[in-house]
Amino acid sequence: MVDQLPNLGREAEMLAAMGMTSIEELFADIPSEVRMKDDLPLPPPQSEEEILSDARRLLGSNVALGERVSFLGAGLYRNYVPASVFQLVTRGEFLTAYTPYQPEVSQGMLQAMWEFQTLISELVGLPIANLSLYDGSTAAAEALTCSVRVHTRKATQKDTVYVSELTPPDRLSVMQNYCQGAEIKIKFLRHNDDGTLDMDSVSDAVGSCGVYVEQPNPLGLLDGGVTQLKEILGEHTALIVAVQPVSLGLVEAPGHYGADIVVGEGQPLGSPITGGGPIYGIFACSKPYLRLMPGRIVGRSIDVDGKTAYCLTLSTREQHIRRHRATSNICTNETLIALMGAMHMALLGPEGLYDLAVRNMTACIMGKQKLATLDGVHMPHSNGDHFNEFAIELPGATKDCLEYLDSVGIVGGFNLSSWYPERTNWMLVTFTDQTQANHIDLLVKHLSEWISTLEVAA
Amino acid sequence: MSHLFEHNGAKGQGYSQPAPVLPASEITLPSGLSRKALPRWPRLSEPEMVRHYTWLSKRNFGIDTGFYPLGSCTMKHNPRVNEVIAQIPGIADIHPHQPEHHLQGLLSIFHEMQYMLEVCAGMDQVTLQPVAGAQGEFTAVRCIQEYFRLRGEDQRTKVIVPDSAHGTNPASAAMCGFEIVEIPSRIDGRIDLDALRAVADDTIAVMMITNPNTLGLFEEDILEASSIIHGVGGQMYYDGANFNAILGITSPGLMGFDAVHFNLHKTFSQPHGGGGPGSGPIGVKEHLAQFLPGPLVGKRTATGDELDAAVDENWYHWYEPTHSIGKVQQWHGNAGAIIRCWAYYRRYGRGLRTMSEHAVLNANYLRHAIHKATKEAGVDSLVVDGAEAKVAKHEFTLSLAPAKEAHGISAMDVAKGLLDMGYMAPTVYFPLVVPECMMVEPTETESKDTLDTFATHFAEVLQVDAETLHAAPVTTPVRRVDEVYAARNLCLRHPYDDE
Repeated sequence: MVDQLPNLGREAEMLAAMGMTSIEELFADIPSEVRMKDDLPLPPPQSEEEILSDARRLLGSNVALGERVSFLGAGLYRNYVPASVFQLVTRGEFLTAYTPYQPEVSQGMLQAMWEFQTLISELVGLPIANLSLYDGSTAAAEALTCSVRVHTRKATQKDTVYVSELTPPDRLSVMQNYCQGAEIKIKFLRHNDDGTLDMDSVSDAVGSCGVYVEQPNPLGLLDGGVTQLKEILGEHTALIVAVQPVSLGLVEAPGHYGADIVVGEGQPLGSPITGGGPIYGIFACSKPYLRLMPGRIVGRSIDVDGKTAYCLTLSTREQHIRRHRATSNICTNETLIALMGAMHMALLGPEGLYDLAVRNMTACIMGKQKLATLDGVHMPHSNGDHFNEFAIELPGATKDCLEYLDSVGIVGGFNLSSWYPERTNWMLVTFTDQTQANHIDLLVKHLSEWISTLEVAA
Repeated sequence: MSHLFEHNGAKGQGYSQPAPVLPASEITLPSGLSRKALPRWPRLSEPEMVRHYTWLSKRNFGIDTGFYPLGSCTMKHNPRVNEVIAQIPGIADIHPHQPEHHLQGLLSIFHEMQYMLEVCAGMDQVTLQPVAGAQGEFTAVRCIQEYFRLRGEDQRTKVIVPDSAHGTNPASAAMCGFEIVEIPSRIDGRIDLDALRAVADDTIAVMMITNPNTLGLFEEDILEASSIIHGVGGQMYYDGANFNAILGITSPGLMGFDAVHFNLHKTFSQPHGGGGPGSGPIGVKEHLAQFLPGPLVGKRTATGDELDAAVDENWYHWYEPTHSIGKVQQWHGNAGAIIRCWAYYRRYGRGLRTMSEHAVLNANYLRHAIHKATKEAGVDSLVVDGAEAKVAKHEFTLSLAPAKEAHGISAMDVAKGLLDMGYMAPTVYFPLVVPECMMVEPTETESKDTLDTFATHFAEVLQVDAETLHAAPVTTPVRRVDEVYAARNLCLRHPYDDE
């Protein structure tokens, strides 16, 4: 700790300047009844070298996905983040700054975030984007409460939103926590057996405040029916679409088929998975939602000399001004990770995004083609088009299959029974730009071996 | 003046990508879902991209750039080894859905962090899931809400918040569905016990409070406040924004609190990153532990095959609290931030008390140095303490009300003058109870010499005439920014030529 405390050893001198003789005098206002009697029961201080060594040992014992062949996604996707992104984002001027409350000395981050807003706006096809929420789930939850603030007055189904029944329970749980305080009712949209949305069920949502669907859906399926939703719902119900942002290199931007709010896990653009955080949530919307949306926004302005300058704007929505009437309690967000996203997008350019989307989608297509050759593996939604991932139904329990694959060094897919308990044999297999053809061959080989062990057992 | 969208080379991808595993012609999409036009993103080569962001970084001020005495934000030095550690594949390249035997190292660090925060706060159980301080507040108030629901105390519909509280407190409680009861603070920002007694009844669910308070003063009556709230069956919530002042000295548990959030990005040095990421774990007493968001990390003795993957004699595992409120972030919180803060705490270990002592030493020394310097410069009549107090804790407030009255110099003018001196300005106009408020928090990582020089420069700024200060700053990348213009002429994205 010596290296972190420049005044260690100068305490007496500093205290003397204040007419004091002991540190204790600085704490004279803390009553003895609330004082800690003993030292903290913690280990002794360590040096940087010792900490790094412990970190390497402990974190080194984790199985990093890059050490294995991996087919685990389900909302977070292994990607390649260009080296320059890491180099630039750790520049101290970005890394060690606070929220840009003093715009004159924060132009760098403010401009970078204004550019981020533009990049996201163009990506999703909506005019407004904030500079990030915590993750995809909180962005989705905030979109639901935002839709109610905007629409409940004219809604025939007041304080009611509809979400896809396929929404993963962990994401739904976040939505429920955010919605319960405003007494928002969450109802469900049904899906057909082929994985597409049931349009009759969408009709039920007419007159509600908001409808939340994912494109691709949680099982990787791209659903053309989503483009029809806005026409069915009309102008008084918010269409909220969650996206995998990389897919938008191939797939139409939701803003172009009527989405009012687009959210999503920004992670595949710019950020490693990092155990699920810090990542960043995308939140973009159309103009009617602007003044009731959550999160920070940067506006372009001028300084006293008329020079272009940037600053935070529309702060009257926010907690530090509006307090309990704020549109959200969010203060700290994920700015630095959004900056990584901006850097990645800047390097990709439009054609680079297209190429990246093609790499992700073709890996998924190859996975589908090769897994289709396996006897005993059924693909419930095989007629559809998928991005990144699709569900398969196995001839035995997914849990057993994943354990077998793990024993041969493969991180299998995601066990869908933890989302949909009745689907004990379903697995979500994920393919990204990091998936190689020989990875898929290895998966097919070992799946086939596992299936044959079942046949022997039978 | 340049921006990203001025770059538009022919097809200048910043880095080339490997070929796809199949040709793009294999791709089919449902009808109507083919993207018609790609986003109008810029086209930059890598050298252009690197130069653009380096240029932007030079127009930004961080702790690395200079002294950052932003009150309430605890802008301490961010050790660089923490960034190195956060890039180790065992944290950067892991998925939260991997099985426990893939993540024993991560889980052991999570368990150690839960324990460390529990003993520092005097709480029984910590969850690391909330990803920011405000989310921690929301999570804790949600847990308390469920606690009362299970007890059938549905009449508890109100949350008490002092008028000097951070804005997130009332915003978080309102998001849970509570009615906010704001109580006035005394002139020194401390709790007015009479005002508290006047509103305390069995409709109160929670009182949210920070200690030291937002003026940097310790609430000497905290036990009495706790006893008033507990006396009517309510719960005490500790806003951990000012935790840097008290580690190893006192704890929210000792003060009678039932729940607390930590701002790891303040106290434990997760870099603020220009506005995030943060990390906002919460700790609670036993009676609230079953309501926490799951999963939490537990441990037991490792046996059999587990020993192959174990990092020590224990097996670390996830478990769900019995009456969990569910999740507040879909994954396991900001794991990368938790790792950095673990690395930070390990530097101090049981010496965390020394860290807080130096934070308080530096704050009091700077307060003293500013008063001394302004006196020597003959401008001490322009600035007074925001509140009378013999000692402050980790931060203190000043009021520029006399300067405003005498010369029309506002706290904002002084802030902008300090920017010209090469400093980040202190927090201004918060807390609201102090007129022309400036809230100063030096943290423990600033040297005596930096504090002395800042005090001298502060006095120099007060000697500058009002007209010059109104025009400050002049040395910064841009001069005073017109925030009203920004709000009236909304330009929230690059206007393309056809718009």
